[in-house]
Amino acid sequence: MNDVAVALVFWPVGALMLLTALYVFITSSMARAGLLLLAALALESILFIALASEYLGTLMLLMMSAEMVIMVFFMVMFMPDPGGLMGMDMTHDKRRSIAAAVVLSVALSAVAVATDWPARVLPPDAPDVRALGFEIMGRSMFSFLFAATAILFTMVGGILVAKQGGRYAR
Amino acid sequence: MSDFAPLAVMLIAGFGALALACVEQVVAGARPSPVRIARDAVLSLREPIARPQSYDGWLFHLAPALLLLSAIAALAMVPWAPGFRGIEVESGAIVFAAALAYVTPAVFMAGWGSGRPLAVVGAFRFLALMLGYAMPIAMITTAVAAPAGSLAPAAIVEVQHAVPMALVQPYSLALWLPAVMAVALLAPFDVATAPGELGGAGVFSRYTGLEAALVALARRVLLLAVAGMTAALFLGGWHGPLLPDALWMALKTLAVGAGLLWAGRVFPRVENDRLVAFAWTFAVPASIGAIALAGLTTLLFYR
Repeated sequence: MNDVAVALVFWPVGALMLLTALYVFITSSMARAGLLLLAALALESILFIALASEYLGTLMLLMMSAEMVIMVFFMVMFMPDPGGLMGMDMTHDKRRSIAAAVVLSVALSAVAVATDWPARVLPPDAPDVRALGFEIMGRSMFSFLFAATAILFTMVGGILVAKQGGRYAR
Repeated sequence: MSDFAPLAVMLIAGFGALALACVEQVVAGARPSPVRIARDAVLSLREPIARPQSYDGWLFHLAPALLLLSAIAALAMVPWAPGFRGIEVESGAIVFAAALAYVTPAVFMAGWGSGRPLAVVGAFRFLALMLGYAMPIAMITTAVAAPAGSLAPAAIVEVQHAVPMALVQPYSLALWLPAVMAVALLAPFDVATAPGELGGAGVFSRYTGLEAALVALARRVLLLAVAGMTAALFLGGWHGPLLPDALWMALKTLAVGAGLLWAGRVFPRVENDRLVAFAWTFAVPASIGAIALAGLTTLLFYR
């Protein structure tokens, strides 16, 4: 894709992403908040795809859908006002949290703008890319696999622990 | 990939959905009649769009579009012939799984947005179901991609030129089929719509007019996508003697579609918690085993 096409995707999608992210905090319905967060993260993955990071973007699309659906599931289950119909305010300590959010986002944006990003763009077959690929798929693979297995067993174990007794015990 | 590939995918979606609707009629014991399907569609389009008495009506109205979008995105990844491999993406099989992952929010939006208790029940049933069944889809995709060494569906078809994957990894197929049936809202996994059980008040029951037609189309396109991908990943895709490549692929897709619909008429719907329990206690661990076995098979026979 050429630069114009990338810009045509990047700016509108980026704006929409920020808008949906903002609405996550404005709405008081748990279902809407979860789905808007999903929309924001899906749009972010489209930004990744537009910036030629296809695999990462697709993977984010896949993961975020599942994760945000889980979030909707549990938020609706646990929150006292899941539909946002009772006018319950979900925010606390507003003045300080707004101040913290503004300071933090200004600081992070400043870092993004002020950082001296490398101007060199590597071609996909550069030796650096190759070395990185071998590192990730070779020596580092064992730790990745170990982490993945640990997470999985934690999940399965968590379900097993949660399942003991309770209303639906069989 | 030609510039007309998206248009071709749209045409395949339209005609394929029509063909599968005819297959549906045959499986239900009626005579296939495209005319009746067209007439039903026209009748449906004449109705006005229903506005639900719901605070989240906009979710309700967005859901059919999202459902159709994810179905078509999934369909776009299916390779139909050596000359037409769908929209070619390096990691097409993962894109397929990612597209199917958006069926869950779409169904949830439909049920939640319609603001009816039983539709919300259907929506939550589907969420619970898909939390378990989305995992085998992605994991089995990895297992069948291992022999090809590529996540491009066309490459996975190429590697099956001698032996179809269904014979190399029958266990993967056995784990894949329930998962794709669940995501395509097919009986006996149709706990979200559950005609006859939720009293005709499933997640899609409030849709009328254009939106009902969109939902009906999206469900057929979804079936077409999963049937096509099953044919490509497990049944050797376009490989076959005598007949032209694309015809083989079309026949296999229709056969898989008919088989999935037939299974829905033969097997009874079971309780949601049993389906979820099957997913978490059997399908997910078995899928990990399938990945390990696929790795072994790849090392032994494909390298």
